[in-house]
Amino acid sequence: MEFTPALHSEWLKIRTLRSLVGGLAAVLLATAMFSALAGADSEGADFDPLFSVFFGVSFGQIAAIAFGTTAMSSEFRGGALRIALTAVPRRGRWFAAKAVAIAVPVLVVGLVTGGVSLAVGEAVLGAKADGLTWGEELRAVVGCGVYLTLMALLAAGLTAVLRSGVATLSMVIPFLLIVSFVIGDMSGSVADVLPDRAGQVVFHETWDGVLGPWSGLAVTGLWAGAALLLGAWRVRRRDA
Amino acid sequence: MTSIDVQSLTKEYGSRKAVDHLTFTVRPGLVTGFLGPNGAGKSTTMRLVLGLDRPTSGSATVGGRPYPALREPLRHVGALLDAQAAHGSRTGRDHLCVLAASNRIPQRRVDEVLAETGLASVARRRVKTYSLGMRQRLGIAAALLGEPEVVMLDEPSNGLDPEGIIWIRALLRRLAGEGRTVLVSSHLMNETASFADHLVVLGRGRLLADTPMREFIDARVQPRVRIRTTDATALKSALARHGHDVVEHENGHWTVDHARVDDIGRLASAAGVPLLELAQEEGTLEQAYLDLTGTETEFTTQTQEA
Repeated sequence: MEFTPALHSEWLKIRTLRSLVGGLAAVLLATAMFSALAGADSEGADFDPLFSVFFGVSFGQIAAIAFGTTAMSSEFRGGALRIALTAVPRRGRWFAAKAVAIAVPVLVVGLVTGGVSLAVGEAVLGAKADGLTWGEELRAVVGCGVYLTLMALLAAGLTAVLRSGVATLSMVIPFLLIVSFVIGDMSGSVADVLPDRAGQVVFHETWDGVLGPWSGLAVTGLWAGAALLLGAWRVRRRDA
Repeated sequence: MTSIDVQSLTKEYGSRKAVDHLTFTVRPGLVTGFLGPNGAGKSTTMRLVLGLDRPTSGSATVGGRPYPALREPLRHVGALLDAQAAHGSRTGRDHLCVLAASNRIPQRRVDEVLAETGLASVARRRVKTYSLGMRQRLGIAAALLGEPEVVMLDEPSNGLDPEGIIWIRALLRRLAGEGRTVLVSSHLMNETASFADHLVVLGRGRLLADTPMREFIDARVQPRVRIRTTDATALKSALARHGHDVVEHENGHWTVDHARVDDIGRLASAAGVPLLELAQEEGTLEQAYLDLTGTETEFTTQTQEA
């Protein structure tokens, strides 16, 4: 068994499910739409034009998480995992192929989303976005792709740990919507190293926490990596 | 040639032994019927062979190697475990394409097995629109995809219509005829009797029998002769004189246990008893199976000594 056929198969699994292809489209649409809306409200002392342009990522990430969750959870329904592991019995290899098949499309869609979001957001902001440098814009676009990918992988890893998409979504979505918003204002606390808070530093023109744009993404990467390792361990250990 | 070898295989779930020191070999060129009541450990054994469950002890190999060590395993072993496992939102054809891609099986095989299983016309419909019988056929198509030397099917006739049952019977015979190793589990005796050459019988996780089907039946069911006559009294006395017991049945026929038509026919003729019907009743798999499970404890001790 080699890796390429396993990856090819996992990619086909994603491509042949309409809900998953739709989920990828939703990442782009939700992000661009909410970035445009955010631009309409650009008053206030702590206005950050870069964050305004990428405000929609907070919503687009939910679609990315749903994508990562569904792509993984479809293997935990009925006897699907048995079919998958009968075709690719090396479980570590199968899990790695699954993770790559989830990561690559999200990365591509995430980069496009970043570009579209930038164009839409700046068009809405007009002159207020003039202060953004080329470097900052590029950083945020790349960051958008990487951040969404890591969140999708985090969700996929958790799904493999919990063996259920419903359990994962009912844990992650409330977490993003409530926990982060509630304790989000307490900068310099534990909240800064939560996967979403840390990763979203990349969308800010200025930041005052310990984590910068890239170290923040690295922290999100650690979360995603930990979830994937736990998921892989559980798939390898458990009877299918 | 590839056989399935199960060596003192044991699988415990908590304190319950689903499979208990099982040892048997499934040989190529034969259809081996895998019998036992629900919960006897047939499906567990198949999962253990496929490396899906880890055995508590013992081993299961295909062609001498553990399943996970096979390169492109679908080209060696084709299995149907659960026909409901295919994702409902994918088309039947896509389901097979996904499997084919993982083992570098050419696309043309997908269309071949779809035609072979009679699914060509519904191949581009989503699996959730399939009937139980169509899903069963899709599962069988998946098992045949890699032209494997070993085919393992768990209850393949589930949900098939009468035509489908005849089809699967012919398919199993053909696969064995091509020299493949075929293991088919079932709890339907008459169905199994129609295609199996060899039997492996489980009861509560233990091996109860591993014998050719004909021997299995002959060893357990005594042949008997079925007779209908117009003169029951004459028949009874003629047979009694030669030490045969005649049993009357509700619908007017009689049976003689432990007897052969050659003898009974001559006796009746010599006694001048008019016969309307004279036939040998062969033992059925069902009778033999019930006989076995009735004497389960005794038989298990015997096989373990052997």
